[in-house]
Amino acid sequence: MASTSRLDVLPRVTCPNHPDSILVEDYRAGDMICPECGLVVGDRVIDVGSEWRTFSNDKATKDPSRVGDTQNPLLNDGDLTTMIGKGTGAASFDEFGNSKYQNRRTMSSSDRAMMNAFKEITNMADRINLPRNIVDRTNNLFKQVYEQKSLKGRSNDAIASACLYIACRQEGVPRTFKEICAVSRISKKEIGRCFKLILKALETSVDLITTGDFMSRFCSNLGLPKQVQMAATHIARKAVELDLVPGRSPISVAAAAIYMASQASAEKRTQKEIGDIAGVADVTIRQSYRLIYPRAPDLFTADFKFDTPVDKLPQL
Amino acid sequence: MDADSDVALDILITNVVCVFRTRCHLNLRKIALEGANVIYKRDVGKVLMKLRKPRITATIWSSGKVICTGATSEEEAKLGARRLARSLQKLGFQVIFTDFKVVNVLAVCNMPFEIRLPEFTKNNRPHASYEPELHPAVCYRIKSLKATLQIFSTGSITVTGPNVKAVASAVEQIYPFVFESRKQIL
Repeated sequence: MASTSRLDVLPRVTCPNHPDSILVEDYRAGDMICPECGLVVGDRVIDVGSEWRTFSNDKATKDPSRVGDTQNPLLNDGDLTTMIGKGTGAASFDEFGNSKYQNRRTMSSSDRAMMNAFKEITNMADRINLPRNIVDRTNNLFKQVYEQKSLKGRSNDAIASACLYIACRQEGVPRTFKEICAVSRISKKEIGRCFKLILKALETSVDLITTGDFMSRFCSNLGLPKQVQMAATHIARKAVELDLVPGRSPISVAAAAIYMASQASAEKRTQKEIGDIAGVADVTIRQSYRLIYPRAPDLFTADFKFDTPVDKLPQL
Repeated sequence: MDADSDVALDILITNVVCVFRTRCHLNLRKIALEGANVIYKRDVGKVLMKLRKPRITATIWSSGKVICTGATSEEEAKLGARRLARSLQKLGFQVIFTDFKVVNVLAVCNMPFEIRLPEFTKNNRPHASYEPELHPAVCYRIKSLKATLQIFSTGSITVTGPNVKAVASAVEQIYPFVFESRKQIL
């Protein structure tokens, strides 16, 4: 038996014998019953239960007791709109073959732009296979920025891309700007600008990127085995610790480390291939490689199996 | 770890930007035809006039507002602006030199040591922002002085501020922080 949970509990009827008692609603029979004496006080109360019975072994896709799409209350404030769907029978098409009732009715115009942006974010995240938690975080960030209205003039797509970048960073799995660029139509410059503006607007900051964040992704894309990946991670970390590469972007250092590790192992990769995957020009890899080459013996781990010994590493 | 006094550091002012008004409408076409060393940008609606003596480039709008860039000190900027107003006067306009204001000063300073940028950013969280993918320098903003400093790993620092004094005090303020995160030569 369901009990009322609203604050204005006593509708208009009370039990004559017990005016203070809170009436219990029996939705099946449509009654309001006094719990003290059992008197049926209200009658013909409207049933708010299911229209028809649903069984658990029915097809999961069609749930007849649902009367709307899944609500997204965190992000939409509402979503109580009605749309006219596409017609199914013959009567819904007029003479020329066009469907009658063409207009699907504008829905939730206040949040239309936001819903569009969410769709775009989901599309972008899909292209690089980002998990749902990052997408949710991106949506939340976008909502915060949108409500603040401080970045109102900027393209929504640019803000969405920047939010995606920030969300990846915050979750500890940063994506390079170039990777976000690849799935977005916005230029790197604009995404960078929006990124800085959003950090200022939301008054948050993000952690610095490290070389290790990208190692697993780049190495798997290149098809390098685990030992090479670990060696490259170690090289890059050591190079940054010893400050052999001041002022170089961590991505370039990571790419150079992967190059060195792959050239020392059996699985060699060219600078062009690595540059392609990392989004770094091969001259940049060459420059960073030149900086770490002199200290190459110190950068490798002690137990690394060299296919090409350290002194035979290519010198560019 | 006593920080050195900044007497040894020389701050080089590379650019001073100033604005002034001539209080009269200027016929850009006339300036373009009769003036010396001018470039007329008709699509935007401005005339660029370059002076040789204080090496200055001025952007002149028909409303009478003039922006003057390229000077190396505040006095030079004022001198150049006055020279410019004089040359406009010679062309026949009733120029009154008003509302002279130095808007922006750009200076460069070199530290005698290199700087570790990631360490510096971590220690100066809210004011410093470092995005190696976008720009190789740390951007440090001092709100009280309205100055922005760009700190490079080589030790060179670029400062922009509303006037020369703000720039000097910005460098003074940043010195101890930068000194902390310097790269020690072994």
